[in-house]
Amino acid sequence: MAAVFNLNHPPHIAHWHFIYLSVPNIIVIVVMLVAFALAILLPFPKHKVDRSPS
Amino acid sequence: MSATSDGSGRKNWTVELRKRAVAALPPEKLLPDGQPAYMSSWIYVFGVLSLASLVVLILSGSILALKGPTWWHVTGIGHFFNSMHLWSVELFFFFMVIHLWGKYWMAAWRGGRKRTWITGAVTFLVAIPCALTGYVSQQNFDSQWISTQAKDAMNAVGIGAFFNLLDFGQMYSWHIFLLPMAVVALVAAHVLLVRKHGIVPPFILDGHEQVLAAAASDGAEAAEAADAADAPDGQPEPATEAPAPPTGEPEPTG
Amino acid sequence: MSRAERKREDEQYRTWKGPYRPYDLIREASIAVGVVLAIVVVLTILFSSPDDAPTTIQSWSKAAPVDFVSVANAELDGSSATAGYGPPYNTNGQPQQILGIKPANWFGVTYPIDTAQDYVILPLMTMTSVPGLQNAVKTYTSASSSQQGKWTTAYDSALAKAKANSDGTVTVPGNSASFGPVETMMSSLLADAQSGGLDGNLLTTKQFYQTDYTKILMFLQDDNGDNAAANGGNLPDSANPGYFFNRAQSENLLGDQWGMMNETGSWPGQVWLWLYTFWYQIKPFSTSANADILVMAVMGVLSLAFVLIPFIPVINRIPRWIPIYKLIWREHYRQA
Repeated sequence: MAAVFNLNHPPHIAHWHFIYLSVPNIIVIVVMLVAFALAILLPFPKHKVDRSPS
Repeated sequence: MSATSDGSGRKNWTVELRKRAVAALPPEKLLPDGQPAYMSSWIYVFGVLSLASLVVLILSGSILALKGPTWWHVTGIGHFFNSMHLWSVELFFFFMVIHLWGKYWMAAWRGGRKRTWITGAVTFLVAIPCALTGYVSQQNFDSQWISTQAKDAMNAVGIGAFFNLLDFGQMYSWHIFLLPMAVVALVAAHVLLVRKHGIVPPFILDGHEQVLAAAASDGAEAAEAADAADAPDGQPEPATEAPAPPTGEPEPTG
Repeated sequence: MSRAERKREDEQYRTWKGPYRPYDLIREASIAVGVVLAIVVVLTILFSSPDDAPTTIQSWSKAAPVDFVSVANAELDGSSATAGYGPPYNTNGQPQQILGIKPANWFGVTYPIDTAQDYVILPLMTMTSVPGLQNAVKTYTSASSSQQGKWTTAYDSALAKAKANSDGTVTVPGNSASFGPVETMMSSLLADAQSGGLDGNLLTTKQFYQTDYTKILMFLQDDNGDNAAANGGNLPDSANPGYFFNRAQSENLLGDQWGMMNETGSWPGQVWLWLYTFWYQIKPFSTSANADILVMAVMGVLSLAFVLIPFIPVINRIPRWIPIYKLIWREHYRQA
């Protein structure tokens, strides 16, 4: 079962001084930061507030 | 069924355990159908997403375990389930770390919730060797490399003498049984603590203390009226802890 | 705030006395499982997962015969990484230490490896049909250790100019007599390796069923391009990697490539290990022979601190000072 995208090749690397990060990993980190920011900033659907605690 | 005391004056362990369990987690706390109104942020879904990822991890891992460690190298369907297992790991750590970030910035350990933080943090730390034992159980070049490199750290601190990353049989056992059991036990403790102590309330801003105190004292009557109107799915009051009345705030117009 | 004040302040967060709203816990959990399952299936269909075939002694000795022979020679003369490792494999080397403490010594040798015997002598002794080989082995084993060292050292120096032939054999220039029986032993071992026999030999134990790959993996990882004893331990040398390390380097798995974080190919790896690998990149860890124990100590302390954040002053107050919480609970504050 072949994948739609073949990732079986060397990745691009961000190399700066001793920092050496693969682009796929950088993407994961960036997506995490974006997800965190969105989770905090995006409005949440409003609900009726009425009940006593069960 | 509860029998009366056998008259010997000896404590019944079963009864003691049952009493303590029910006191800590009455059914309406264990499986509540209400949540505090301040939980209106998407950050709150990352806990359950972490849990869901763990479920998918265990399901995909169980299917891999059904057919044994060679299967995924030699069949397409096996490789498919292996891929599912690998991506579940990525999602598990992805959601768990964002959940952790959220909980830190909420200082979620407040109000007697320190053990909730501790169990969560330890889960993260135990998940790391659980993943490591998985990586060295792949039986491919990656396992060869990871095991021969990571062994130096194990050996340096001494545990390499009896935790041998190069021993596939041992690593596989730790990965599919011992460490998942530890993770599941920790997650269960973590979730039960969340159920027991509830979700941490927001920081009280200066000036808001008086507003909330006033609302709390007004709210008792409103709570009784709300309960009466709520008959079809009204919950019985919790057995031991007195219910906290709602503040009786007006419904938001939005 | 005094301690008592802090405690009082903390108590008011124990129980929420405010409004609730309806909520379906089980439905939310079920939806979450469904969503995660869907994402996992989509990622699997799009990207699959890596499965690089393992290196075998056979594939190594065929692809890089001179490299293989030089490692085998190092195993024989005790200059390989495994040979000089110390516990848990042998007592030939000093384990890593921190503040003079060497934890590996507490537990001793639990996976004994005698590199000369296990990797060279014993496998050669099973090859009884190779003409002249058993005599060569006997000549070697009955010689004094200083004589053995003269042969292996001469052979090692000559290997720097050795050539791999198209038939898989290796031609080592120089005075054959100075190599003694070592040349015969090494060329026989190479042939055995290329036939796949050595893989099998190194996996065999007294038991029929085998799940422990310690011996063979230690042999493979000795291929770090330099004699590790001279390299200050078994730190991978990306300037001159051997076959096994070369393969790792091409996959960005070496230490100075932050390899701990990386997956083979272009798949995302173990991003959560960023802080573990970070320390290895900077001094004093990057130049220390005790790097592993030092990093484990630092990470041990930081992990403990992470677990105990609720108790750590300043750290446990930062969320109040940097009020991200005002964003999270903005609806609540608006209504209050």
